[in-house]
Amino acid sequence: MALQVLSPMPGRVANLSEVPDPMFAEAMLGPGLAIDPPRSPVTAVAPISGTIASLFPHAMGIEADGYSVLVHLGLETVQLNGEGFTLLKAKGDTVVAGEPVIEWDPSVIEAGGLPVITPLIAIQAEAGQITQLVPDGTQVEAGTAVFEIA
Amino acid sequence: MAEITVVLPPGVGLHARPAALFVGAAAKSPLDVTIGRPGEPGVNAKSILGVMGLGAKAGEEMVVTAEGDGADDLLSSLKTILETPEGGHA
Repeated sequence: MALQVLSPMPGRVANLSEVPDPMFAEAMLGPGLAIDPPRSPVTAVAPISGTIASLFPHAMGIEADGYSVLVHLGLETVQLNGEGFTLLKAKGDTVVAGEPVIEWDPSVIEAGGLPVITPLIAIQAEAGQITQLVPDGTQVEAGTAVFEIA
Repeated sequence: MAEITVVLPPGVGLHARPAALFVGAAAKSPLDVTIGRPGEPGVNAKSILGVMGLGAKAGEEMVVTAEGDGADDLLSSLKTILETPEGGHA
């Protein structure tokens, strides 16, 4: 059965090729898409139900039934050392899809010179395993199903 | 089982990019490979999320293990990847 992956935030759905980082644009971590968030405080929610297998202030990786999904808030944001991000959960916690995990303010991150476009990745999946459910350019809400992993 | 200890150099925590590079190299090998902190059970070195989940930071000591033919060669190439500062990958 296919797993639906939810947008972690409101924003515009973008193709990964728009992400100015080859690691994501070339799908080194896996296929997916990107969400361009509003420039105001937002809460990033869990894209799938599962266990938080990796958690950084700027990124969450959630694992369930052999599927893994990564949300990377902005690019190169590791260098901020957590500045501008608030974690609402801990690594190892179980979450339900749509549950709040990280608060951040893209306008602050962008003012600091970093891209805020947020890759949403089916980690180590094959490109053929994912089906996008909404076209690029669509404005979605947090919790809108944006792709499926077979 | 072969193992090697690597100290992550300044600027190299195992976040997304270094983890992807490391896992990409480990996953090309047919051997079982793990990475973890000394004295703790390692995680599967072929799982990006597993490796990122370690949250390993610059300056930390990590132990990489491999089992099977060619384990030593594999470990030395993985050590090189872990010890390469991020700019060096570009």
